[in-house]
Amino acid sequence: MSKQPLRLPNGGLVDRARTLSFRFDGKSYDGHAGDTLASALLANGVGLMGRSFKYHRPRGLLSAGPEEPNALVELRAGARREPNTRATMVELFQNLEATSQNRWPSLRFDVLSVNGLAGPALVAGFYYKTFMWPAAFWEKLYEPLIRRAAGLGRAAEFEDPDHYEKAFAFCDVLVIGAGPAGLSAALTAGRSGARVIICDEDFQLGGRLLAERREIDGRAAADWLATTLAELASLSEVRIMPRTSVYGLYDHGIYGAVERVSDHVAVPPPHQPRQRGWRIYAKRAVLAAGALERPIVFAGNDLPGVMLAGAVRAYVNRFAVLPGRKAVIFTSGDSGWATVRDLAEVGAHVAAVVDSRSEIKPEFKSLASRVGARVFAGSVVEATRGGRALRGITVRDASGKRTALACDILAVSNGWNPTLHLTSHQNGKPVWDEEIQAFVPGVLPPGLSVAGSAAGRFTLAEALQDGARLGREAASEAGFAMAAAQPAPTTDAEASELKPIWRVKGRKGKAFVDLQNDVTDKDVELAAREGFRSVEHLKRYTTLGMATDQGKTSNLSGLALMAEQTGKAICDTGTTTFRPPYTPVAIGALAGHHRGKDFRPVRLTPTHDWSREQGAVFLETGQWLRAQYYPKFTDKDWLSTVNREVLATRGGVGICDVSTLGKIDLQGTDAAEFLERVYINAWKTLPIGKARYGLMLREDGFVMDDGTTSRLGENHFLMTTTTINATKVMQHLEFCHQVLWPHLDVRMVSVSEQWAQVAVAGPRSREVLRGIVDAKHDISNEAFPYLAAREISVGGGIPARLFRISFSGELAYELAVPADYGQAMMRALMAAGQAFGITPYGLDAMSVMRIEKGHVIGSELNGQTTVRDLGLAKMMSSKKDFIGRLMAKREALVQSDRPTLVGFKPIDKGKSLSGGAHFVGIRRANKLENDEGYVTSVAYSPNLQHWIGLGFLKNGPARIGERIRAVDLVRNSEVEVEICSPVFFDHEGTRLHG
Amino acid sequence: MDKQETSIWRPRRPWAGFAEAGQIGESREPGITAVTLEGLGFATLIAGTSSEKLERATKRLLGLDLPREPCAALSDTHGLVWSGPDQWLLLARKRTGFSDLLVSLSVDAAVSEQSHGRSALRLSGKRVRDVLAKGSMVDVHQAAFPVGTAALTSFAHIGVQFWRTQDGPDGAAFEILIARSMAGSFWSWLAASAAEFGFCVTIDQA
Repeated sequence: MSKQPLRLPNGGLVDRARTLSFRFDGKSYDGHAGDTLASALLANGVGLMGRSFKYHRPRGLLSAGPEEPNALVELRAGARREPNTRATMVELFQNLEATSQNRWPSLRFDVLSVNGLAGPALVAGFYYKTFMWPAAFWEKLYEPLIRRAAGLGRAAEFEDPDHYEKAFAFCDVLVIGAGPAGLSAALTAGRSGARVIICDEDFQLGGRLLAERREIDGRAAADWLATTLAELASLSEVRIMPRTSVYGLYDHGIYGAVERVSDHVAVPPPHQPRQRGWRIYAKRAVLAAGALERPIVFAGNDLPGVMLAGAVRAYVNRFAVLPGRKAVIFTSGDSGWATVRDLAEVGAHVAAVVDSRSEIKPEFKSLASRVGARVFAGSVVEATRGGRALRGITVRDASGKRTALACDILAVSNGWNPTLHLTSHQNGKPVWDEEIQAFVPGVLPPGLSVAGSAAGRFTLAEALQDGARLGREAASEAGFAMAAAQPAPTTDAEASELKPIWRVKGRKGKAFVDLQNDVTDKDVELAAREGFRSVEHLKRYTTLGMATDQGKTSNLSGLALMAEQTGKAICDTGTTTFRPPYTPVAIGALAGHHRGKDFRPVRLTPTHDWSREQGAVFLETGQWLRAQYYPKFTDKDWLSTVNREVLATRGGVGICDVSTLGKIDLQGTDAAEFLERVYINAWKTLPIGKARYGLMLREDGFVMDDGTTSRLGENHFLMTTTTINATKVMQHLEFCHQVLWPHLDVRMVSVSEQWAQVAVAGPRSREVLRGIVDAKHDISNEAFPYLAAREISVGGGIPARLFRISFSGELAYELAVPADYGQAMMRALMAAGQAFGITPYGLDAMSVMRIEKGHVIGSELNGQTTVRDLGLAKMMSSKKDFIGRLMAKREALVQSDRPTLVGFKPIDKGKSLSGGAHFVGIRRANKLENDEGYVTSVAYSPNLQHWIGLGFLKNGPARIGERIRAVDLVRNSEVEVEICSPVFFDHEGTRLHG
Repeated sequence: MDKQETSIWRPRRPWAGFAEAGQIGESREPGITAVTLEGLGFATLIAGTSSEKLERATKRLLGLDLPREPCAALSDTHGLVWSGPDQWLLLARKRTGFSDLLVSLSVDAAVSEQSHGRSALRLSGKRVRDVLAKGSMVDVHQAAFPVGTAALTSFAHIGVQFWRTQDGPDGAAFEILIARSMAGSFWSWLAASAAEFGFCVTIDQA
């Protein structure tokens, strides 16, 4: 066990009483509760945390926050392995396991670091230029090689074992960020009684207050923080959400957030999700997301040990870690000097301060002399020295004189960029603020205000003032009465002047603009020379600003360099567009519960469990699970099962669940008139107690759906639709009624869920039904003829509906009972049919029988076929108007050579057929010009003992008896077939009326 | 419509096979309680050109006004829940006499029985809103969703009609209706969402 050599003996917000052991690259270390992985590694003297993307250069921490470009690790192992995790954002937990990325064989010795030596060849656009030719090499050789060499972490290879959730929250005021501005806003708004949600991505609330030594109202800022958090916790309508990143702003005040519920433990506790994706509906919101410090571009600025000055303060003050023993500060503004003070406070040796400004304020001079630091005014850091860690730097003063200094930490400060990303998610353009030399929020999305650093108001005093004022405004706009405003707390003095420098020219060596993508100042120059001058082009050509950090520390430097190249001002160079998410979001958090079998709701019929008991194999049809076939041990294979079910039904009786068909209850004095208008055939003539087959068209004249509709009363109809189109037809009918004919008295509602419905088919079906239908109902052929449809009762008074309709072509019925009795109905039918060998059949047997009868389903009603194509033109009434009537008469839809429904069978009866094959003439080439139609349905007919099929063939009905080929180029088969009538079985329909 | 519930014609309730009595998830005092509502009567009522006659009928037969906005009018035995313009869900706590009621109402409305087409639950408990938050895009806060409010929405991609009833001894209570065919998927979401709070399930034996 190591001893955390760089951990300070006291101070900070880590709990030294709680030691947590963890592993990095297989080696064990100790840290404390309150650490991040980054701070714990740093405490253990581990400065090298990864290798860079392209050149495989050694990299350490740049930051202490969400902007971290370098310290990306694979967190956890096995199925929970999570690549590209920012070590700065990982809350340390017991037995944490992390692995560095993008190195081989080890982090210290990486073979591909020779890429750095080949550096000049790997400039921007290198891939595009070098690997262009020969084209075939790209896929086979170049891409796999490049992918191996340049990549980030590896995704887990197994299914994520954890559960994720989605959730919705509503509030009057959403506060994004729990630093001084956010906490002030939440407190002021919360005191009014408004519903407030305050989110922060950190596990500790306080923002920069945690990282700085500041005073509020004359006391340590920590006191104010504790008091404020306690009061917020006491307000019942305030919800505090730590570990929650608000990553996106959407229309109408909707915000996306991800809560890392269990990321700070090795394995989520029982019943806890790993993460929770939130959709937050906020009447008003205050963005208090703070600011991100900017680095400076100079040669060797990527060595481990070169760190943002604010990050150094965070490690020292919050995590009680000394990032190095001998520090140099390189700053272009006052904010860097705070690091001098804080480092000295904990006893670190500050060797020098390099300030690019020539004037140094007296108080800084006296601070430097107090801590014994040399001051280089008007100077810059020109280069760094070191292998895997910083060993020293070269300072160049205004006169060009160079001084070499030894140091192991270089704290860089170049001002701050407001974290304004969310203000851009609705296309808001940031605007350049000359005074603070940064982009600030431009036109704000409705309902959003921006407080403190996020608005470019960087001092603590401004943060506290903004927060209080905007929290108050937000609550007031959300309708809450406010007490008189209280003065914002006072703070200690804070200097915040700045004169940023964007890069230091000079020495050889790579000067990085974008550390994550290994984009150097030279790459930006090259892009400018080659004409990729728009920032969007610059981004795509050099990859500057891409990948997991989205350029949080590089975008502005890139812009500034491009401005320099093109002789424009930064504000005229523009910015790239910020889009959600602000930081990476796991797909799991967006999917929530909905993955695997919960990907979407599954619908089960009321007889599902009964079918399962019977050993059914189920098929997904839309959301429904339907019984496909019922295998028995004695069946040889799937086909023998289906054949058995077909033969049993045609030879005796079979039952099949048809509950999934859409059922629409239509009532009203104009219900018949309404049906006349939506169906192509006549309905007013339908007698009560009868069913009729109906077809409806879309407005464009193509067939939409079919089904039987029954007249239960003078003003009462029951429509059935196909399973797949149930919702669509309901919407269509509602549209027709509400928009086209609101004056018609017709009222409709889906009753699909109310009824369990079963087809009872076969010559013995009536006898079986006789066994369960209550005796008072006469269902003899005379009393209950073909297409009869009546309300009856079964099982001694259970209300039921019986329809004598047939899809199989047999004497057949559909029996519907209230869904609670669905399962009982199946049991009762099986019992009543035992003597007749009653057999349950599934969708496959149903399909065989309907193909034998030439009945069409979705394969034929595929949205591209007309009534004429289906051979049903005679059904179209000429005595009335109906939807689609005119458009169905369009010239192209009535041409005689349109593919029209036919049946076909193989010449060689031993051959099988395949759906999707195309018809091509004998001795014709398999070319598009020779395509004469296509196959929609095929089946093996156990009654005919050969394969049969339905399809659409040009001028089909006139070609019966002709031979043609069914060519399937996908499955590489072709079969010579004979065209025939689509009705293969019982042409006269005598069985139907039996 | 009295059923002769012989052994073979025994009804199977919509939650059968999904909801089982007991506690799911955390074993501490349950933060949320579900009671399956079995044997209720449901029907869709759609008024004709005018709903005034229907309202006279519901007042006379049930003592209930027709809610004109997304609300539920509830008595001890019946309820009317707004379901859209001129459309209501009629509910009866018992099915006895329900078909006669439907016949009476069918004079003034299109009546379609849905008793078997819905799976119904009563959810209550201290954490009930935290569970609803995992599904509901409707704000169910005390102030935004007072007793008697109703909504038609979707939870976990499943169409839902729900309303808030009088608070029970364990706090706010909601009654939730979903399509019968989706009871399994709904239960999968509910059980996963409620487990962290301790989820007590009671099967109504009605």
